[in-house]
Amino acid sequence: MGKKIIRIILALLTSAVIVVLVIFLAVKITPEPPYQEIKTAIHSISAASAKQASVYSRKLYSEAENALDSAMAVWKRENKKFIFMRNYEKVLEYARLADKKAREAASLSVQNSNDLEHRLGLKIKSLEETKNKIDEFFGKYPLESETRTRLSKGKLMLKEAEIAYEKKQLLQANKKLNDAEYLLNSVYENTLSDIKTWFASLSTWKKWVDNAITESGKRKSYLIVIDKFAHKFYLYYAGKLKYEFDAELGKNWTGDKRIKGDKATPEGRYKIIKKLQGRATRWYKSLAIDYPNSEDVERFMKEKASGTISSAANIGGGIEIHGGGGKNTDWTDGCIALTNKNMDIIYPIVQIGTPVVIVGSLRSLDEIMNEN
Amino acid sequence: MKSKVLMGFAAIVMVALMSACGKLPQAQIDEANAAIEAAKAAEAEVYVPADFAALQDSMRAVNAYIESQKSKLFKKYGPAVEDLKAVVTLANTVKENAAARKDEVKKEVETLMTDIKAVIDETSKLFAKAPKGKEGKAALDQMKAEMETVNAAVTEAQSKYDSGAYMDALNKVKAAKETVDRINGELKEAIKKAGGRI
Repeated sequence: MGKKIIRIILALLTSAVIVVLVIFLAVKITPEPPYQEIKTAIHSISAASAKQASVYSRKLYSEAENALDSAMAVWKRENKKFIFMRNYEKVLEYARLADKKAREAASLSVQNSNDLEHRLGLKIKSLEETKNKIDEFFGKYPLESETRTRLSKGKLMLKEAEIAYEKKQLLQANKKLNDAEYLLNSVYENTLSDIKTWFASLSTWKKWVDNAITESGKRKSYLIVIDKFAHKFYLYYAGKLKYEFDAELGKNWTGDKRIKGDKATPEGRYKIIKKLQGRATRWYKSLAIDYPNSEDVERFMKEKASGTISSAANIGGGIEIHGGGGKNTDWTDGCIALTNKNMDIIYPIVQIGTPVVIVGSLRSLDEIMNEN
Repeated sequence: MKSKVLMGFAAIVMVALMSACGKLPQAQIDEANAAIEAAKAAEAEVYVPADFAALQDSMRAVNAYIESQKSKLFKKYGPAVEDLKAVVTLANTVKENAAARKDEVKKEVETLMTDIKAVIDETSKLFAKAPKGKEGKAALDQMKAEMETVNAAVTEAQSKYDSGAYMDALNKVKAAKETVDRINGELKEAIKKAGGRI
């Protein structure tokens, strides 16, 4: 009986030892799961995400995520195999790749976002300058309605970009800034190009005025000069400047007058042909000029013949220097408006035949822009 | 015979030990995934992106832990169950935060919309009283063009608001409001300078 018990105990002990040994061996030969490496990769991806790598280093971040997904997929696949048949080498490879890519993404993201923030800051500053230049330089310029719309949209886009920039929404800010840049630069460049084309006649304008002043000096006579860009009326006597007044022009005062109703103030060498006051004029006192003169008619006919203006167009007329000004705006149909007070000064001294030279500008575009 | 019985017993003990060490907490995993989906549906990615990223990271960590246990001879899912409960709690918080932030943005847009409409109305009336100003007609023309752009932006912001894209509507209406406020201020100043009544 005692021997039997001892045998049973021994058998049980042997079984227990065998079980323990089997378990020990099983644990020993079971491959180590790649948990630490996966955890490290997850931690790196998390750190990259905190640095907005998904936004500023999208490619690398996406590669890191894909590598982690692959690691997990392979791990799952391996786990489905019999325990001793599992191989985690590929999992480790992907996990390490995910970690590497995530670290690179984090570092690049910081660099990219800093660079982008810096670049956007400079771009905002530059576009603000462009916007201010447009406001200052073209403030009085009669822009076409389409150009005004583009300018308005550009300003609003710039404002939206600034708001996004302040919120550190750099990609949105960048997109808005690109739109604003396109709109504002196109307004600035197109308008400047139009003005440059117009100012191509500067040397002719200067010659007209210089000759007229010389003539006024020689003849000891009066001379009227109108500088359209400066919105100035000058009265010379004997080659010397006597009066300088602000002048208001036609609504579309840039460029030369081409046809009736274009609301442009003509450019050329004219003379006073009529003086009107009281009931004879709507505008307090008026000095009518001889627009269209022979040069205007010749140009008009040429344009008509070439088809650049309609065959039904009329050259117009009735251009005057008159009162009613002081509105601080360009409101006439092509005439030059002075205040009634200034008309009182010039009306008695300007006579029929007094030369009137109307030019686009007396100063070059560079001079004007540098002053602004 | 007896030793065979004993060997069989030992084998059964081993198998039982190996298989009964842990059961995959599938129900908790499903619950956590559903909670994350609910947070996503609440636009947590848009309104609380950092919180949502942290939530996703937590779930990734739990999944990795679960997979590590699957790799082992003796599986221990207890800590994973606790972590999954924490993920569900976090997902619910993220969802609530997203909803709260969304509501906050929505209200901000609504306030701005109400304000901007009032300022637009007032500014439109100011145009009639405005003197031509120092820069004259051109300046007024520009202001009018800007008002048209502002109106278009408000319409666009309203459409984004109606479609629930509050975040997109916010910057647009903010920019429009700042623009119309500037125009309003400039007009009032010009009217005041000219001695007019506002």
